Amino acid sequence: MSDTQILVADDSEEPLTNTRPEIPIVAPRRWLKENLFSSKSNTIQTFLFTGLMLSIVRWLLSLIFAEASDWTSVTTNMRLLFGYNYPAEQFIRVWFCLGVIIVAAMFTMGAWNAKPDFSLRKMAISTTAGGGFLAMIWFMCTVGFGFAPLQKVDGMPSGLRLGTFLLAALLIALGLGVLNFVHEPHKIWIKFTTVLYAFAGAVVAFLWLVPFGRYEFADGEVINESGTVATSTKVPWTYMMLLLVGAYFVGRWLRQFIPEGSYRMVMVIWWIVGPSFLIFHVLRDPAFDMGYVFRVDIPMALAFGLGGGALLYALAKPGRGELARVVGAVLLFFAAYNWLTAGLGSGHLFGWESMLQKARITFLMLSFAVLMAPTFSGEPAARRRFAYGWIGFIAISHWLITGVNTPSTLDIAAPPFLGGFVLTVAIAYYVFLASFPLGILMALARTSKLPLFRVMSTVYIEFIRGIPLITVLFFFSIMLNLFLPNGMTISELGAIFVGYTLFSGAYMAENIRGGLQAIRKGQYEASDSLGLTTVQRTLLIVLPQALRVTIPNLVGQAIGTFKETSLIAIVGGFDLLRIGNSTIPAQSVFQGQKRPALLFVCFVYWVFAYSMSRASRRLETKLDVGD
Amino acid sequence: MCASWVIALRFFDSPTSKPGGIDRVTDTAQSSLAHTAGHKPPIWRNITFLKWAVQIVVLALVVGAFWFLAKEARQNLIDKNLDPSFNFIEGPANFQPGEGIDTQPDTAGRALWVGMVNTLRLAGLGIVASTILGVMVGLARLSNNWVANKAAGIFIETLRNIPVLVQIILWFAIISQLGKLTPESGKLGGSFFFTKKGISVPRIFLADGFYQWATLMLVFTAGLLFTRRKLHAKQDREGGNQRIATKLFVLTIVAAVVATIINPIMSFLGPVFDEISDIWGDIPRGLMQTALSLIAIAGAVEFIRRFLNSRRTPAGLAKLDDDDWFRMIFAGVMAMLAVAFFWKAWPGLSSWIIHSGSDFFGVAGDKFGGGRGARPFDAMLPSVTDNNITNYAKTGLTMTVGFTALFMGLVFYTASFIAEIVRGGILAVPKGQSEAAAAVGLSRSQALRKVILPQAFRVVMPPLGNQYLNITKNTSLAIAVGLSDVVQVGQSVYNKNNQTLAVFAIWIAFFLSLSLTISFVVNTINRKLAIVER
Repeated sequence: MSDTQILVADDSEEPLTNTRPEIPIVAPRRWLKENLFSSKSNTIQTFLFTGLMLSIVRWLLSLIFAEASDWTSVTTNMRLLFGYNYPAEQFIRVWFCLGVIIVAAMFTMGAWNAKPDFSLRKMAISTTAGGGFLAMIWFMCTVGFGFAPLQKVDGMPSGLRLGTFLLAALLIALGLGVLNFVHEPHKIWIKFTTVLYAFAGAVVAFLWLVPFGRYEFADGEVINESGTVATSTKVPWTYMMLLLVGAYFVGRWLRQFIPEGSYRMVMVIWWIVGPSFLIFHVLRDPAFDMGYVFRVDIPMALAFGLGGGALLYALAKPGRGELARVVGAVLLFFAAYNWLTAGLGSGHLFGWESMLQKARITFLMLSFAVLMAPTFSGEPAARRRFAYGWIGFIAISHWLITGVNTPSTLDIAAPPFLGGFVLTVAIAYYVFLASFPLGILMALARTSKLPLFRVMSTVYIEFIRGIPLITVLFFFSIMLNLFLPNGMTISELGAIFVGYTLFSGAYMAENIRGGLQAIRKGQYEASDSLGLTTVQRTLLIVLPQALRVTIPNLVGQAIGTFKETSLIAIVGGFDLLRIGNSTIPAQSVFQGQKRPALLFVCFVYWVFAYSMSRASRRLETKLDVGD
Repeated sequence: MCASWVIALRFFDSPTSKPGGIDRVTDTAQSSLAHTAGHKPPIWRNITFLKWAVQIVVLALVVGAFWFLAKEARQNLIDKNLDPSFNFIEGPANFQPGEGIDTQPDTAGRALWVGMVNTLRLAGLGIVASTILGVMVGLARLSNNWVANKAAGIFIETLRNIPVLVQIILWFAIISQLGKLTPESGKLGGSFFFTKKGISVPRIFLADGFYQWATLMLVFTAGLLFTRRKLHAKQDREGGNQRIATKLFVLTIVAAVVATIINPIMSFLGPVFDEISDIWGDIPRGLMQTALSLIAIAGAVEFIRRFLNSRRTPAGLAKLDDDDWFRMIFAGVMAMLAVAFFWKAWPGLSSWIIHSGSDFFGVAGDKFGGGRGARPFDAMLPSVTDNNITNYAKTGLTMTVGFTALFMGLVFYTASFIAEIVRGGILAVPKGQSEAAAAVGLSRSQALRKVILPQAFRVVMPPLGNQYLNITKNTSLAIAVGLSDVVQVGQSVYNKNNQTLAVFAIWIAFFLSLSLTISFVVNTINRKLAIVER
């Protein structure tokens, strides 16, 4: 353990203890002999698979560089692919959201201490291998092997060819240099921060130095200037990279002052609530009528928040007994009655005006919270936490709902204002967020002792798991408006969201049920002996353990949800796939150009899904769950 | 004081569970104090009452919500002058599916059937092809050869992370721009064509003598199974390598050839089936309804009987708790609902069974009429007439571009998942097994075949069944490439007739039955393979 070198000295970091086993280093020739040519069948396999891989690479290159593929269809339409109808003048809002998300992601990484570190030797080998791959591409496009199916690929632009050659040479030189001239590279571990610096720096340099040219639509024509980098995105990306690096260090610095538990809870709450604010308040830009807000909205929020908080604090006192349940039942009845009679016009409830929708929802929520008060009873500190939680909930939800109800100032060609990749990510996020509690409920119901709940949830889960997603999406996008009473409508995106959530909830329930079954009987017995109520036992003992075991499956589910949002393209949503498949080939300049856009869409999906699955694997090893 | 108040709103009582089962914990608490022993708690704190009250209230809410939605939907449909019934099935189709067993269907019902057959075809071929490819890639992923290992790894990681719809559409874009050749220049080896229309191969189809040949083969199979048992007994007795597999293989080939020659002797079955068809068609409807009701009641009675048997202890019948009563009452209620269904809700089902049964036997009778020299199989080459490749029903077999794109996309996507499953299954077999096999003297391939793969199969089966379900459901993406599967045909039907609800019901019924069948088959195989423990 003595020869541990830290390449970049960090102040507040604990020393890197190198407890990894030593991987024996094999000389290249011996490695080749053992792995590739050890026996006759092995040699045959080597040649077979190498030939196969080379011909596949060649085929892909021929697709990419074919004469008929016009890649300006992708470069010109970048804004369309990522934001669709979002007005170009307001694009600063999209950059703002992206910046906030990057900052939050870096803070989260700081909160969870999730830094990988990299072995210098492995990095050098990967660099050399990458350089070798690029060199092979250059070779394939310049010279070729001369015989089919490995002959030369035409069509690569000469600038790109030169760039590939230079980059390949650089990478190979770098990798081999490190391997040969650095002493014992397998013992040097590069910190994450170094890689972060290098990555950000390289991207910024790339953007500012490499001549990309400027591609835009202007009056229906394509502008195609070479020389300068696309001026519209050079500066924002630089800011993003600065935020990336800066936020990480700020997050680490903050960890010194804020206790870890609160830091993590704040980050979790942010990820649950924050994106909604970004979408509905920043991107949508509601036009608040400040007079109305100060007259009605803020007093209502204050009344509900403070009044409800005081009520909950009082009711959660341990000596109260069943009073909370009784009050809760009364409130529930009141809220339900109000809800059901909402459509009957004003004056129905003892001559009062019919309530605002927001007030009705809040009464319902208040009744649920009051019903749950005995679960959170205890010392004053616990009760205060409960009351503060309620006040925070009211503040956030009222702000959100007010924003959603206010008309937007955006000037878009056709609603919705979300489109392209932003729509894909938004739908995936909301579906995952909403199907999580639904899945937990259904899983708990399916393993419940009460037979009716078991039957109902089993029927639901098996029914949904038997039909394909596309039929569910069709059903909801066409039929949901038919099922709602007169006067209530739901937008198409909303219907798709509801359908997708119900679908995803069934799969989530099955995953969580696996986790629930992994909990030993002793846990239930121990919580009974401590006197916990059923709700307390579920929230504090059962669910944390079950969810921890299920994390690999949950991440797999999240990746699956992200991939399956592509089905929105069929039901009429304008997500990334639809734009690449239908909108771009329909533009008059790029008539019928499908392949470049589709290859780009494939690439985007692959990058995100692969990063998520790699992160999931690291998470598994870190938490020591899964296989 | 508060701790002694048992909170009764136990909505989601999690059981004190042992793995794989639900424990039954008795609810009635026994007091040990003399002056409270025998007191039952008041009804508003009585667990049993509250449990059932909560369940019934929630059930009422759910049923009420569904009833409310159904009422609204019915009202809205009437307002829009739509007729939410299944009458459109007998109506004209008004469109033509691009490919399938019948490209000119008369009725919408026939068009939907064509779509269903396309889906089944896709699902079947997809399952077979993806299993083969997935197993090959999975084994390659475990190979000692570095290139094979990495190649399989790249295959899996690339294809798993791109959505299947994107892959299908990409394949469609590639293939539809590939075959810009004329039918002449696309000819490979004289009998394969690869053009913009698709891939055309020679078609092998069932000829006149097929059903006779098949029945004869069934008879021979019984004989072959008998021979197999005898050979295995001989092997157990005498030891050594009796080459059972080779002998059985040769015998099967001989049986098939013999059956091809002598299949006309089975033609006596033709008149037999015609007789059965007449008799079946004469069954009165009430008799069929009674028979169906008796089957339902007998099923429920059998279920209750077996259930009670499972609750018997040496000391007599164990005390039944309300969960057990619920199961028995549920079975009885289901049987009564089934009887009401057969008699009142859908009497047409019985008529349909009678008519279609009679049709079925009549058709079967026709199939057994082949005279001398009837062949079981026949082949036809694809032909080109007037610069046009003729489609499936006429000559040759053409996989259209849409079919090929969907097939490639689905098979590659599912194969990458199956490869990971296979790899996980083989890695799950303890290393000691392969070491023991080597110690006993088996070669690597013998060890794989006889020791490792059978055990890996057990681990692999459940997730593999899941992937089969996924590929079946993913065939619905054919709508993106214009292939006429059941979803695309259904959409065309309801675009013309506005019968959205009925078409949804048909979709749901079709996919649910397909999924349940596949799950049932996979679960049966699973149960047969399960480790038998003491």
